[in-house]
Amino acid sequence: MKGVHEIVVRSNRVQFKFAVQRNITILRGDSATGKTTLISMIDEYLQNGADSGVEVRCDKPCIVLDGKDWELRLSAIEDSIVFIDEGNAFVVSNNFARAIKNTSNYYVIAVREALPALPYSVDEIYGIRNMTARRQKYLPVVRVYSSFFRLYGSNAMHGVAMPDYVVVEDSNSGFDFFEALCGKAGIPCVSAVGKSNIYDAVRRADAESVLVVADGAAFGPEMEKVLSLGHAKHVSLFLPESFEWLILKSGLIEPDQVAEILDDPADFIESRDYFSWERFFTACLTALSKEGHLRYSKAHLNPNYLNDKEFKAIACAAEREGLPAMWEIR
Amino acid sequence: MIALLRVYFGDMPEAVYNTAVFFKNSYIDEWFEDPFVQRMVKGVDGATVLGNRLVQSKVMGLIPPTDLSGGVKTLILIYKMPERVFNASTCGDNCARWILQMAKKQDVAINLRHIMDFGNGKFDMEILNTGQKVHSMAELAMVAGDFLRADS
Repeated sequence: MKGVHEIVVRSNRVQFKFAVQRNITILRGDSATGKTTLISMIDEYLQNGADSGVEVRCDKPCIVLDGKDWELRLSAIEDSIVFIDEGNAFVVSNNFARAIKNTSNYYVIAVREALPALPYSVDEIYGIRNMTARRQKYLPVVRVYSSFFRLYGSNAMHGVAMPDYVVVEDSNSGFDFFEALCGKAGIPCVSAVGKSNIYDAVRRADAESVLVVADGAAFGPEMEKVLSLGHAKHVSLFLPESFEWLILKSGLIEPDQVAEILDDPADFIESRDYFSWERFFTACLTALSKEGHLRYSKAHLNPNYLNDKEFKAIACAAEREGLPAMWEIR
Repeated sequence: MIALLRVYFGDMPEAVYNTAVFFKNSYIDEWFEDPFVQRMVKGVDGATVLGNRLVQSKVMGLIPPTDLSGGVKTLILIYKMPERVFNASTCGDNCARWILQMAKKQDVAINLRHIMDFGNGKFDMEILNTGQKVHSMAELAMVAGDFLRADS
């Protein structure tokens, strides 16, 4: 499946309206916001159709998955939006991760615990918010209108403070670039060698203010853990989709070819082929740069990207996405 | 006896994972006569307990206790069945203050599979994985992540 799909689920009492655009969407947030109600309504519609009193509008079938026989049922589901409520322990298993990889479905999972086996984006972690205007005192509410909101919105990504220390998820090309960038500002920069090590690297950092640079497209499982360290020290996050996405955004690579993709990635990224968007952007950059002097390799950064013009183009793209202009200071 | 919040982080096979199903098959009508339960239902769900088997929800109208939110059902189980350990990651952060209040009344042991935000105040918590005591989110955040790794 690809594309953005709007879903409306409504009864006489409540309406949920939201859109999904990647293969994995996570629902969490406060209790009593309607996560279970939403999924129950979809299930009731599945069981009873219009006789349920529930209306489900979407251009794709909406399915609820639960129970012990989830694997068998999932094997028969294609090109659908699959909802899974909390309490289904299978979602944390590696079996589940294997089962949903390379499928044509999108998945909406209500769960608070992190799912490290799944590469979900920080942008696709949502809460549910009541959008109904505060009712007037003597008028009954006919229907409550609810929608999704991003739990880690743009405020978490932008306005990044100038750090004392930088931790980069990447250990290869991305790290090569950010190490060079931090070097210009005299800021220590280390690689965490993988997203699951970032919590530890930030915790051990002997610095007041730590900046984390990671691929937002798959950083969802680590987000809460790393953000919790904000209770103990100043932690900022710079989470572009991926380093390759940043290069594509810099305009160095055939801007005409990539502009359309970058404007609406969901329209180009098939969930069956790419478990997360970062893999698509890597494939895209590798293919588009293979003939020129900016031939890209994920393993080692092509030194041409560190030339003055290219370096500044990527650094400016990072700045536009919220990173401090490190190369201009000190 | 000083009441204490005890938390086991990560996978805990003996904890009740699907608290909604457990609640449906275990709750007792009399639980809803307890003023503290009624306050939790009001505080988390914004709903009013009208009787043992009837709750007035602002959104859903008259509902049975089984239709309360997953969070408040877990809170009630933690409070009324202290001999069992429940997966409190079915509770949102808006349940944290109620867990802390419970821990002032009685010893409370819960299982957390995420880092719940207990707010900016002080609290007394024992991390059952190691026996370590923590008293603030700053202290908790520096250790809890160790037990929430992919291989936990």
